[in-house]
Amino acid sequence: MKGISQRSGDIHLLLQGNEAIARGALEAGVVFCAGYPGNPSSEIIETLAEAARDLPIYVEWSVNEKVAVEAATAASFTGCRAIVVMKQNGINVALDFLTNLTLSGTRAGLVLVTCDDPSGISSTNEEDARIFARIIDAPLLEPTTPQEALVMTTWAFELSEKIENIVMIRSVSRLSHTRTRVLINELPSFDPRPHFDTGLSFHTFPVVAKHKMRHEKLDLARVLFEKSSFNHYEGAVRPELLIVSSGCAWTYVTEAVDILELSDRVGTLKLGTTWPLPKGFLKKHLAKCDRVLFVEDVDPFLEDNVKSFGADICMEIGPKEYMGKASGHTPSCGEQTPASILRVLGRLFSVDWQDHAFMDKVSPIVKDIAPPREFGLCPGCPHRGSYYAIKTALAWDDRDGFVSGDIGCYTMGIWPTGFNQVKSVHAMGSGLGLASGYGKLDRFGFHQPVVTVCGDSTFFHAAIPALINAKFNGADVLLLILDNSATAMTGFQPHPGTGKTAMGTKTDPVDMEALCRSLKVDVEVADPYDMLSTAKIIYRNMQQKGPRVLILRRKCALVEGRERGFPYKMRVDQDLCLGEECGCDRYCLRIFRCPGLVWDKHAQKAKIDGVICVGCGICSDICPQRAILREERE
Amino acid sequence: MVSRVLRGRLLLDHIGPTYTEVLKRQMESSASGAQDRLINKVIDKGLCVACGACVGLCPYFHYFDGKVLAMARCSRDTGRCVEICPLIDRGDIALDKMTSDVMNTPEIGPYKKIIMACSLDKEINEKAQYGGVVSSLITYALGKDIIRSAILTDAGDGYAPAGTVARSRSDVIGCAGSRYTASAGLEALNMAIKTGEQKLGIVGLPCQMEALTRMRHMGSDGENRANSIVLKIGLFCTWALDYRSLFADLRNRGLREPILKCDIPPPPAGVFQICTRDGWREFPLNDIRPFIKKGCSLCQDMTAEWSDISVGAIEGIDEWNTVVLRTDLGLRLMEQATEDGVVKVDDLPKKNLMHLAEASFNKKERGRLTRGEIR
Amino acid sequence: MALNLIITGVGGQGNVLASQVVGKAAVKRGLRVTIGETFGLSQRGGPVMSHIRLSRKRDYGPLIPPNKAHIIIGLEPLETIRVLPEYGNSETTFVVNSWPVYPLNVIADEVEYPDTERIRSILEDAGGKLYWLDATRLAIDLGAPILLNMIMLGTLCALPDFPLQMYDFKDVLVDMFPESRLELNYKALEIGNEFITENEN
Ligand SMILES: Cc1cc2nc3c(=O)[nH]c(=O)nc-3n(C[C@H](O)[C@H](O)[C@H](O)COP(=O)(O)OP(=O)(O)OC[C@H]3O[C@@H](n4cnc5c(N)ncnc54)[C@H](O)[C@@H]3O)c2cc1C
Ligand code: SF4
Ligand code: SF4
Repeated sequence: MKGISQRSGDIHLLLQGNEAIARGALEAGVVFCAGYPGNPSSEIIETLAEAARDLPIYVEWSVNEKVAVEAATAASFTGCRAIVVMKQNGINVALDFLTNLTLSGTRAGLVLVTCDDPSGISSTNEEDARIFARIIDAPLLEPTTPQEALVMTTWAFELSEKIENIVMIRSVSRLSHTRTRVLINELPSFDPRPHFDTGLSFHTFPVVAKHKMRHEKLDLARVLFEKSSFNHYEGAVRPELLIVSSGCAWTYVTEAVDILELSDRVGTLKLGTTWPLPKGFLKKHLAKCDRVLFVEDVDPFLEDNVKSFGADICMEIGPKEYMGKASGHTPSCGEQTPASILRVLGRLFSVDWQDHAFMDKVSPIVKDIAPPREFGLCPGCPHRGSYYAIKTALAWDDRDGFVSGDIGCYTMGIWPTGFNQVKSVHAMGSGLGLASGYGKLDRFGFHQPVVTVCGDSTFFHAAIPALINAKFNGADVLLLILDNSATAMTGFQPHPGTGKTAMGTKTDPVDMEALCRSLKVDVEVADPYDMLSTAKIIYRNMQQKGPRVLILRRKCALVEGRERGFPYKMRVDQDLCLGEECGCDRYCLRIFRCPGLVWDKHAQKAKIDGVICVGCGICSDICPQRAILREERE
Repeated sequence: MVSRVLRGRLLLDHIGPTYTEVLKRQMESSASGAQDRLINKVIDKGLCVACGACVGLCPYFHYFDGKVLAMARCSRDTGRCVEICPLIDRGDIALDKMTSDVMNTPEIGPYKKIIMACSLDKEINEKAQYGGVVSSLITYALGKDIIRSAILTDAGDGYAPAGTVARSRSDVIGCAGSRYTASAGLEALNMAIKTGEQKLGIVGLPCQMEALTRMRHMGSDGENRANSIVLKIGLFCTWALDYRSLFADLRNRGLREPILKCDIPPPPAGVFQICTRDGWREFPLNDIRPFIKKGCSLCQDMTAEWSDISVGAIEGIDEWNTVVLRTDLGLRLMEQATEDGVVKVDDLPKKNLMHLAEASFNKKERGRLTRGEIR
Repeated sequence: MALNLIITGVGGQGNVLASQVVGKAAVKRGLRVTIGETFGLSQRGGPVMSHIRLSRKRDYGPLIPPNKAHIIIGLEPLETIRVLPEYGNSETTFVVNSWPVYPLNVIADEVEYPDTERIRSILEDAGGKLYWLDATRLAIDLGAPILLNMIMLGTLCALPDFPLQMYDFKDVLVDMFPESRLELNYKALEIGNEFITENEN
């Protein structure tokens, strides 16, 4: 037994933040784990799924975040510790259940982990999920390092059982994806005995009484937070500035203080328990000085709450100058970085920390010559074929049609790699929801055809209700399910259509064709690698009325490459390629844009980049000279 | 707008140019491009008559279901697409018509002889539009190896009619009859040239014949391309219809594709007749006029003046064709075909010749006027 | 003080694996280590950067503060100069693979890829030491382009002052690769290592 599921403790391992959270849950004896994949949270469930090979725990990828919380809650109600994991967007999906759950309360420890994505590095937004802890009156913990994430997670289960309510942990990309040396502890024995005590009941009535109970539970948490070692103060006894910080940003603060040699002049208040606020602890430190700076990722959550508390006790601690997002001292959006913190502290203490000579020397040159690197779909990606077919069909149709997009790898359809076909992207399943609206606008003279795309995983997650809506209301929509048999964007997690669960057990795959047919919606299947035939099918469907579904099915190139390998060895026959003489204006490079095709400067013709091309072979169909040749690989 | 710009700036940090920027850059880089001129002057103005001359020369134009479409933006400064398009003004090609030993009339263009003729082939007569001269001559030329294949226009299967390569009598008969929709038959020519076909014959509308003349002057390979064509048979044409809008209307009237044949009987009938698998139907011509290709109103050529042989109807004589023999090749082919008993010929009545000249002159006048208005 | 190391490149070059090898080796040696990984939307083709911070005393945050990198391992030339103004300084040591991976906008002829010799001279002028090698070529010659990351790791442990040795890396590779692929990866480490020792003086 190695790595994450190893039973003995007191060992150092190199763990990612997400792995540390998983280990923390295991150390708490969690037995039920559920989640929906999404960067940067996915590795938590993946790690637990791996541990499930050695330990008697249950792990599932649920169909969406709401169902994930519900399933995990069932474990809690029957006395089993459970964890549920999602990215920030997921909380929106689960919120309806969560607001009611915190009224009914829970039994065995139930912990909700949200991994936020400041700067939206791999998300459609940079939503700050901490605000939901306030909305649902749940205690909130914010770890700063993987080591702390591990300990906090274990403790969160204790807390949850103590107050009989769900506890939230907020990580951020930077923490989730940080690897560091982590000391692990021993695992307990796993001996769940689930039983639903029918003497108990879990519901929200009477509402006001339950609401009151919820507040009392939160107060109980507050009392525990007052003495928590997750909160601590470091620095001068009478500092000139008090920095209040939480999460990953705190590590940058401490380093910035070192770099600027301010440790005698500032004090750093690190908060690990950020809702409800440990008021006594806070009050003691707020009293220390008159200037307070907040450093936290994304929204002014601490800032607003501490300021409001500061107003309550202002007669006791006196007036303060509060600095942060509201005052413009720290950026009001985006991720905190060492640079953003050095900038504000440097300004406040007039310390020049920048290496101006070096910057002045290299910055302008580099800015001048280094082009940005455009994102692209992978070589061999079936979405390239799908978008090429969509683009072709929309151009053939010539009624100014467009694509209503969704969330997944294929979101890249908004960029040149997807031929800029996608014109809107919002939430999971929203592409189809929007399309079902466009599909009713004809009565007002709207005749632009709309094609909507969603991935296979997205389809199960949130598109089905929108499809039913389109059917129910008779909207003209064409849904293209880009079925690459995986939740590719987030790392190939299985979903209901793949026939495999998170723990690797076989299951009867949900048949999306059958599902659509049961709604009496027309379904067809086409191959995105066969771009022209697929374009014709899309075109034909665009001329029809009512809701229709076309499944474009091909395995994700990364999975295909790993499992079977691609069939072709590609070559550009440079005798056939006419280069600049051809009227194609470098069509394969400029328009088709697969990174596997590059320009051969010597020959002034196209060539295949053997390092990058995977050998899917689809580009050979787009060259007007038929110069791109595919040869069967042995 | 504000939010989009804002988003654009944020994205720039990690992921390079945003969609708007790339699009803008593409527009800028191609603003003076050749394809851009074609798109701005012809396609976006709705003047494209779907002759198909630019389709298949490069990957940027497709003909699909009755329409010529710009699929993506090309950034080249020069392009065969603008050089070949008959809707782009180009003075120099008028010279091609001037050969010394022909009559050159302002109405009907250059010709050696105008006659009337009809096919003696029963099967062709049955399917042909009028006299079947076109189908007979093509079949004959194929048989005598004067041409090896012929670019014709089919009836369309599932989609609008389109160009096709005919190599046998049955192929030719399959294409007999007129579809009055603009059908980009020259795409098939470009594809045939690409696969190296030689000794081609072609049947097309006046705009298509004009494009073939421009072809000789186009790019570096125009001459070679033009040389692969040996026989050009032009059809008389007053205008062609837009397939998609016509069919949207016809579908509403309960008709189904494909069109097997259309006819516009001579005035004063004022009707449009159409034959589909469900048989013949007839509509007032005025119902159909909105679907006339806008670019046709600029056209000043009714009798396909850039061809070897031009063929049209004869008012009042349904089973015969008016035939204009313009070149030596055309003259000889007709003579041989008559000798071999493939077609029979007769003198064209004076009255019909007068009518033809008048109709042709009127089209030129209309075209000149509209050209002034639109450009 | 931490030793700050950046490994930068594009997706598909094995950046994340390389930084894990360093991390695991460091943990085995009892060093404190923090690795911050930045990768965007795409698995392949987008920029990928790892910040590795080694220390004997304390844990550092996942991001290196501005201009504080001691060593920058560039798996790709353009990505290397991209991080230069933000993280480099006049004493930074660079080890750079000279083989470009062209961005799509370069392939499409919309923007220009800087001349690699120009990149080389900018890095040379920047101050510290520069090792410039055609590592992808070496990897292809050895058997597969993906060995690039191991070659670059090999260079790392030959650098003076770098606290880990080749046997530390070899030691962790044992757990990460099947027996059959171990030999080739060792060989790649050695090639990189030799390159530095040969060019040291
Ligand atoms: C759009 C259009 C408008 C016309 N307008 C007139 C007119 O105003 N006055 C007049 O006298 N004659 C006109 N004609 C010509 C007439 O319809 C006959 O095509 C011609 O008389 C030859 O008759 P045929 O019996 O020899 O034809 P057939 O032997 O039946 O041969 C007809 C040939 O026409 C080709 N063809 C069919 N549809 C098209 C098309 N859309 N584009 C290009 N080629 C096509 C076929 O390939 C076939 O080879 C027009 C034809 C078309 C297609
Ligand atoms: S390979 Fe084909 S598409 Fe690419 S440049 Fe050559 S001719 Fe053009
Ligand atoms: S075969 Fe063509 S499309 Fe496929 S990966 Fe290679 S270069 Fe790209």
